[in-house]
Amino acid sequence: MRKEIVFNLNGSPVFATVEAQKRLIDVLRGPLGEKGTKEGCGEGECGACTVIVDGLAVNSCLYPALEIDGKNVTTIEGLLGAGNQLSVIQQAFVDHGGIQCGFCTPGMVMSVKALLDANPQPTEAEIRDALVGNLCRCTGYVQIIESVKAAAQKLREDK
Amino acid sequence: MNNLDFLIPQSLREVWDLYKRFPGVRFIAGGTDMMVKIKNSEEKPTALISLRSIPGLSGIEIGEQTRIGAMTTIGDLINHPQLGDMFPVLIQAVKRLGGPQIRNVATIGGNLCNCSPCADTALPLLVLEARAVLKRSEGSREVPLDEFFLGPGESCLLPGEMLTDIILNKPAPGVRATFKKKGRVRMDLSIVSTAVLLEMEGSTRKCKKARIAAGSVAPTPLRLKKVEELFENAEISEKTLIEAQKLAESSVSPITDIRSTAEYRRRIVGVYVKRAIQELLDF
Ligand SMILES: Cc1cc2nc3c(=O)[nH]c(=O)nc-3n(C[C@H](O)[C@H](O)[C@H](O)COP(=O)(O)OP(=O)(O)OC[C@H]3O[C@@H](n4cnc5c(N)ncnc54)[C@H](O)[C@@H]3O)c2cc1C
Ligand code: FES
Ligand code: FES
Repeated sequence: MRKEIVFNLNGSPVFATVEAQKRLIDVLRGPLGEKGTKEGCGEGECGACTVIVDGLAVNSCLYPALEIDGKNVTTIEGLLGAGNQLSVIQQAFVDHGGIQCGFCTPGMVMSVKALLDANPQPTEAEIRDALVGNLCRCTGYVQIIESVKAAAQKLREDK
Repeated sequence: MNNLDFLIPQSLREVWDLYKRFPGVRFIAGGTDMMVKIKNSEEKPTALISLRSIPGLSGIEIGEQTRIGAMTTIGDLINHPQLGDMFPVLIQAVKRLGGPQIRNVATIGGNLCNCSPCADTALPLLVLEARAVLKRSEGSREVPLDEFFLGPGESCLLPGEMLTDIILNKPAPGVRATFKKKGRVRMDLSIVSTAVLLEMEGSTRKCKKARIAAGSVAPTPLRLKKVEELFENAEISEKTLIEAQKLAESSVSPITDIRSTAEYRRRIVGVYVKRAIQELLDF
């Protein structure tokens, strides 16, 4: 079974013809060619595939593609500004060593975006809680937490 | 998952219709269990019926009887302004279910219908004596949650039957309850979990009613009825606590698996029951 779906991807409407067994991540990385979103485990454990659907962070590896019809999806590509300028959160990860191999980073950054959109001044406990669904094999998390704190502060100052 | 049909009905009537037309069809709610099982070939449905677009299946109505729609997500339970005041033990438990990405899509109905012995919503709902509303084309019925679970992955749902609501009575005054979960890391499935609810006589140590449930220690989430009876209309003392701990250990039938051993689970369930009561009574 194949079906046509239409949804909003990073602010623009996109169309895709998808097979029923496909997941959101398959559509993003396949026909839409958006390879920023990564697949680690494919079972909801690692968070590398995290994207934002209608304001909420979700694992795109567990989201049936056909259910995305009519929804708003934000991926890591949607965070870049004009001229491919990094967003505040991305720049903070670069500046504070929150990124090493980079495989977990798109998912991490999307979880952080969902957190800071909902809660601009999170405590360290709230940051850790927001990131329990994102695994990183490289950094040991300390620099990631520092990156999030720095990003939160910068975003508040920029307001 | 080849040649799968993915059906998105807009009403219950459409669901019953599709159920008859597609043999081998399964329901899908948030998909956080179903999608993993399909990936690992533990489930091989020929068609999935999504419950997401059916109006009336999600939402929370607070009252003398509180109704929680089966499609209500774990995140919606946590964010509800009043649910946590009336049923703190439920929120305490679901805050430790998965990470944010899971809680944003996982539903309370999916957690129960998946029938895992470690289902985190099951324990608080068991001690709160929740009832499950089940519907199929022929009609609807209500069963105590206690009778819902039959085995791992197995519930009392008949073919084509759906869980639509969870019903909870308003707790009596003097009721207090707590949930404990042992996992390897915070968002992990439990190694052992327990929920304990006590209804006490004023500020005394006299217990009117006790409800105790344990997870990951038997084929289903389990009420420890023998331990409950020990406290029914009885004084809670150091002595009865030790008795309860031993009785909890002998009431369960845990297995050894990748998460833990049977011996460890048996030990911990006793300790947790004792500690939960101590915490509730400031022992
Ligand atoms: C990384 C990860 C971490 C997790 N951590 C936890 C945890 O800590 N604690 C925990 O308890 N669980 C955990 N889970 C399991 C899972 O997220 C929960 O069980 C969740 O609540 C399932 O809900 P769902 O809506 O996603 O169900 P689905 O996957 O959509 O459905 C589950 C099953 O229930 C059936 N079903 C769903 N809704 C209904 C209905 N209304 N009527 C009849 N049948 C129905 C489906 O057919 C299917 O068989 C975790 C899962 C993942 C992937
Ligand atoms: S790839 Fe989705 S959580 Fe790991
Ligand atoms: S930077 Fe390598 S996994 Fe996180």
